[in-house]
Amino acid sequence: MYGAPARKQLALLSLLVLAGFVLPYVLPGYFLYIANLLMMYVILAIGFDILLGWTGQFAFAHIAFYGIGIYGTALLQLRFGVPFVIGMPAAAALAALIGFLIALPATRLRTVYLALATFAFAECAEWVFRTWESVTKGSDGLRISAPDIFGYVVGTDGRALPVIAIILALVLAGTLYLRHSKLGRSLCAIRDSEHVAAASGIDVKRIKVIAFTISAFYAGIAGGTYTLFQSFVHPDGLGVWTLVLVLTMIVVGGSGTLPGVILGVVLLGILPEALRAAPRGLLVWQEFAYGLILILAIMFMPRGIWGLIRGGARARKSPAAPRQRAAGALPREAP
Amino acid sequence: MTAIFSIRDVSMRFGGLLALNRFSMEVEPGSIHALIGPNGAGKSTAFNCVSRFCTPFEGDILFDGKSLLNEPPHRVVAMGIARTFQNIEQLYRMTVLENVLVGLTSRVRRYFPFAPGVARARAEREAVRDAEEVLDQTGLLAYRDTLAGELDFGRQKLLDVSRALACKPRLLLLDEPAAGLRNREISYIDSILVDLARRRGITIVLVEHVMQLVMSVADTVTVLSFGEKIAEGAPAKIRADPKVIEAYLGSEAVNA
Repeated sequence: MYGAPARKQLALLSLLVLAGFVLPYVLPGYFLYIANLLMMYVILAIGFDILLGWTGQFAFAHIAFYGIGIYGTALLQLRFGVPFVIGMPAAAALAALIGFLIALPATRLRTVYLALATFAFAECAEWVFRTWESVTKGSDGLRISAPDIFGYVVGTDGRALPVIAIILALVLAGTLYLRHSKLGRSLCAIRDSEHVAAASGIDVKRIKVIAFTISAFYAGIAGGTYTLFQSFVHPDGLGVWTLVLVLTMIVVGGSGTLPGVILGVVLLGILPEALRAAPRGLLVWQEFAYGLILILAIMFMPRGIWGLIRGGARARKSPAAPRQRAAGALPREAP
Repeated sequence: MTAIFSIRDVSMRFGGLLALNRFSMEVEPGSIHALIGPNGAGKSTAFNCVSRFCTPFEGDILFDGKSLLNEPPHRVVAMGIARTFQNIEQLYRMTVLENVLVGLTSRVRRYFPFAPGVARARAEREAVRDAEEVLDQTGLLAYRDTLAGELDFGRQKLLDVSRALACKPRLLLLDEPAAGLRNREISYIDSILVDLARRRGITIVLVEHVMQLVMSVADTVTVLSFGEKIAEGAPAKIRADPKVIEAYLGSEAVNA
């Protein structure tokens, strides 16, 4: 059956939820933190990939919506006592609304112009987080208190893990359904050829706006998830560095594919933690290293690690099949 | 019979180049109408005006008596006009089935995309059934789950036609469906076109350089040269027209 995800995929998701409940009893605290961090990055990266890898739009405003999700959820709780279960969806909806408003002018642009305009918006957003001190506490950073969910207090990494696992499972399920839907196909069609999409009856501009909105909503959810296991938010974490990190995760893993993005998040999310043991002199090279990995991946592995694995599997299955067209991970109209 | 589709005095300019100069043509319902002419004659520009990728600065394009010029590209499809592309444009990273499903877009009813549901299951079941029917007609069903980018050239051309057919068009615009194909593949396209027009009543406008195909399937041929119509009529008449021969081969050939 085409129009729905495979049973196996949905079964994996229930396994994820199960792991969310079991792992806190098995793993030491530090690993639980890493698990939470990676799961949040998966939500953030998939949202980005829906715009970048599915729809083929080079928009770089994603971290701004992530910030709106974090500050939105945190401030609704701190200032107005709005509980997490309402605050997070509200913050994600706000991110989606702002994403929608940005998309209206942004979808008139493409390639480098779209990238620059959305990047400028992200920089503005970071400036607002930093400067609007009466609300965000600016560069002092904002302390986040542990939310409680219907009386369940999320105080530790172990107590946050099951909640985040459930959120991630829901997001992944929704994404799988989206991929096999009419809308999901329209997004991918726009990436492959806007002309074919339009000539097939797809309202290209409208679907692009929808893609921006969905992408921003995912970022907002990722931001809300952040408040579950982090106790502090600072504008420094919402700048170019985070953008490059998520972008590297997507490109190295394999843009446009769900398993690829998850793979990229796990590999590049663990790397800085593994490097923590490295001497200080090496650590300052971290951001440089990510940039280098990103460039090398784009040059030598445009379909990412997952693309290599899949390409190999396909070649073995049908030895007579023609060589795969070198359709890169990035849209063909890319400069 | 009256024309189902007509282009009336359409002119299109790209900078200093007049790509179409008061070009008109009338297409009878259910016919195969070929549009031929040397490279750069304005054939693809005419198609692009019809599918609304370009807007002519004068003239009108009517389908079923309604003007197309106020419609955006995706609405033209919903009105019943589908097209293929000259330099095969494909959804390379999607499967053959998905390509055809994309062609069905305007006919699949809307549903909430993030969750399972009854409306979704029904819409998708019907869509997949229709898509497989189209693939069966064009002989691509065996390649259902192959990535479009992995098909050979001939089958990519067929897939382009399949995607356009999935729109259930009443008017099908084919931009060089036979270019670069081998003889066997051309006769296959030939039989598909005749079947579409004669049996299913789809009106076809065909831009083509492969004269073998044009002469065997077309009811009417219109010849464009430098944006102007220089001849129109039955294939046999066109073949003998000195003006057409001149446009293709130069005036030397006529004198010789």
